[in-house]
Amino acid sequence: MMAASCEALRLSILDLHAGRLDAAAESSLRAHLATCEECARAEKAERVLTEVLQRGLPRHAAPRALLQRLAERHAPAASRPARRPRLPLRTLAAAAALLAVAGAALLAGERLGRREGLVAGLAAEAVNDHLRVLQGVHPIEVESGGSHQVKPWFEGRLDFAPSVPDPATLGVPDLALRGGAVGWFVDRRAAVLAYRLRLHQVSLLVFRADGLAWPDAPRATASARGFHAVLWRRGGLGHALVSDVDPAELARLAGRFGAPE
Amino acid sequence: MAKLEEVPAPAARSRYESVMEGALHPDPDALAREALAHADALYGYARHLCGNAAEAEDLVQETYARALRGREGIHADASLRAWLFTILRNAFLSARRHDGRGAAAQALHAGEPDPAEDEWLRGDLELERLRRLVSEEIEAALGELSEEARTVILLHLEGFSEAEIAEVAGCAAGTVKSRLSRARAALRVRLAHYAREGRR
Repeated sequence: MMAASCEALRLSILDLHAGRLDAAAESSLRAHLATCEECARAEKAERVLTEVLQRGLPRHAAPRALLQRLAERHAPAASRPARRPRLPLRTLAAAAALLAVAGAALLAGERLGRREGLVAGLAAEAVNDHLRVLQGVHPIEVESGGSHQVKPWFEGRLDFAPSVPDPATLGVPDLALRGGAVGWFVDRRAAVLAYRLRLHQVSLLVFRADGLAWPDAPRATASARGFHAVLWRRGGLGHALVSDVDPAELARLAGRFGAPE
Repeated sequence: MAKLEEVPAPAARSRYESVMEGALHPDPDALAREALAHADALYGYARHLCGNAAEAEDLVQETYARALRGREGIHADASLRAWLFTILRNAFLSARRHDGRGAAAQALHAGEPDPAEDEWLRGDLELERLRRLVSEEIEAALGELSEEARTVILLHLEGFSEAEIAEVAGCAAGTVKSRLSRARAALRVRLAHYAREGRR
């Protein structure tokens, strides 16, 4: 029969794995695990189950057509090229005054934290787009014979001209451009460029960044399900480089791909 | 090499915060855009709930229709993603009740493996067997659990807080830990069956 304290402590094992325990609770639980064989086995069982689920449970990314339908239905303005609002000047002035008041209150302190949350959410979306490439949901629409073939292919398909980094001129050994496709990022069209670095797949997403809480300077995101992303903005375009390669190597590659120093 | 700053993992944000962010945003569609950023996670959850792609697409579309057009009500302190997941789960349960499959789901719940079986599954040999399972087996084992067990496992895996899981699952936050523990124990039992019997 399991002791009452063991039962209570075992309920905190997942919090321990997630780093959600305070120092005192963590120390107490670790001390217990060091002396209670049954609880140590329970801890290992939970750890293995999490590992099995994270590695093996399929992550079903939303089909591209679904994302397109949702964007067109619910954020149609954002899925079209940006236009200036046609509102009377008086209305705009009143709105600006209201926003200034609200902004002053919110900008004090918490604004930055919320923006970080937004950036992290967008980074997670970039990882999902990379998963679509891996799962073939984003089929490569133009196979690469080099960036000089891929870049012109986007003409007429996007309302911006993405730069297509050419591995031949970047000086990165074992990097190859596989091809490109037009996809969706949140609510807008995006250029999806697929590269291969040794055995790793690397995706570069390029899209209009207006209206998104997209960072200007390069930002590396915390690992999401084993993938890493580097985000930056250049020339009004948002860039997201995603792969499962080592974060330091991905950061170096982002620099070669034009991320600002 | 580009100088990089670390971005913390996504955190739950209240609907109030989201709306205020939208108010500050130059684009009036900010809330819709932020909501749409959860489309992948919602679709993944829907796939594991209903088990097929077509119904999952319908559920996600229904969720956004309810959330963004009707502005379906929710407590002001709920996070945006918990709000969306709650709408999706309610739409799923409602559809199941409507087409009569709710009873079948309940029967499945009644037949869920006893987590007490989990006791002897903690040996190293058993755990090694679990590690060798393939994706189809893991997904199938999860699919055999009750809807509530799948929900708490999936949301926990998605990084939801206990408060968010409670919001979506419609239970008290204080019961989330024990529900999650029971659900994971039941899943281990299911997985062990697959590990012993091989692919079905």
